[in-house]
Amino acid sequence: MPDHTSNGMQHNEFEQLLSDALDGTLTGTQLDRFQAHAQTCKACGPLLAEAEAGRNWLKGLTEVEPPAKLVANILASTTGVDTQRLRATAPVRQPRISWLEHVQASLLEPIWATVRQPRFAMSFGMAFFALSVGLTVAGVKPSDIRAIDLRPTAIRRTYYNAQARVVRYVDNARAVYELQAALRGIKRNLTPAEPGPKQKEHKNDTTQQPEQKQERNYSQTGEQLILASAPLGPSVFDSSNPDLPVVSVTTYRRLV
Amino acid sequence: MEDVQVVAMLVRRCIAGDAAAWEEIVQTYNRRIYNICYRFAGTSDDAQDLTQEVFIRMYRTLPSYDHSKGAFVTWVTTITRNLLVDHFRKTKQDRMTDSMDTAASDHEDAQPLSEQIPDQSAPPDARVRSREVSETVHAALAKISPELREAVILRDLQDMDYREIATVLKVPEGTVKSRINRGRAELARLLQRTYRQVM
Repeated sequence: MPDHTSNGMQHNEFEQLLSDALDGTLTGTQLDRFQAHAQTCKACGPLLAEAEAGRNWLKGLTEVEPPAKLVANILASTTGVDTQRLRATAPVRQPRISWLEHVQASLLEPIWATVRQPRFAMSFGMAFFALSVGLTVAGVKPSDIRAIDLRPTAIRRTYYNAQARVVRYVDNARAVYELQAALRGIKRNLTPAEPGPKQKEHKNDTTQQPEQKQERNYSQTGEQLILASAPLGPSVFDSSNPDLPVVSVTTYRRLV
Repeated sequence: MEDVQVVAMLVRRCIAGDAAAWEEIVQTYNRRIYNICYRFAGTSDDAQDLTQEVFIRMYRTLPSYDHSKGAFVTWVTTITRNLLVDHFRKTKQDRMTDSMDTAASDHEDAQPLSEQIPDQSAPPDARVRSREVSETVHAALAKISPELREAVILRDLQDMDYREIATVLKVPEGTVKSRINRGRAELARLLQRTYRQVM
């Protein structure tokens, strides 16, 4: 606002007196000069009206009621902090605990805390499920388990019974094996010899050399069966005993 | 407003650790501080938080109060005002709540206050009674610049004299009067403009 003079009063002076005029503390010649300036000055007149209107608006505002919990919150945030500080500095008496509680707190609590984890609980659940299914499939019933006699004499008797059953089983098995072996030997002696394999005829082979080399090589590896024959009886052309019938027996032995 | 000796005794008891004395101080001044915070911050939630912070700061700095330097209410109001200024700077509302004239010219796309304030049918010169009108004035008060706002709040809503306001704001009394007049005029212009557009 420019420092303009109207009716012997400047704008700055008018503005300084404005508050006092609105408060009603302006009197005498100052009030007259102030009112005269407000009526003639185009800038200060509206300012007076606006300032008065604004003051009236503000005077119409009533006090608002604070929230009901405000005081409690303030006390908690101030004296509450102080109480915690006092508690922190005061010595705290430790309650006496028994050795059982000490062991429980130092050993069992960590284990129990680990077991209580969901993954361990799930693992234990699966293991129990698998065990129960296995026992059911095996035919084990809880009543059988309850029927087990756990006295030392009963356990010893059970042990000897089991041992006797194993010995009897082994002896029986040995007799069966010997009998089977004897029968297999008799059957082998009564069975006629198997004829040897025939030699293959070679088609359109003029030289025969590669085939002969291959047979020689196979016999050296031992994988090919070669049948050998030898006369066991008297010779067909025995000249010392011409009356005997001529019987010729040929046996083939497998050379492996 | 307050008996200096009584308040000084109350403060001494409080410093000595008397919880009842502190509770009496809280009961006495929480309404005043809450209203200052509410009119300045604009919302009830902010006012609650700020009031709580004011009392926390007061509780910590209570031994620094010297009754010979000024009234306890002035000291409390100074703490409140300083915390409000800090809050204002932290929230950076000074750009948004700048002077009404400059705000209207700087932000052409900004929504005019007449659209933010609900329609009112009361004449501007009538005394504000209804809650709706109070909210309208409250919304308009939040739009004026913080320097002018704090001055008119302390003068017209808290009835502090110019010397106390000058002590709280740390400015001369002439500046206080000037800010109060400009603040009142700006508020009136804003509300007149609002009702003129509505009517």
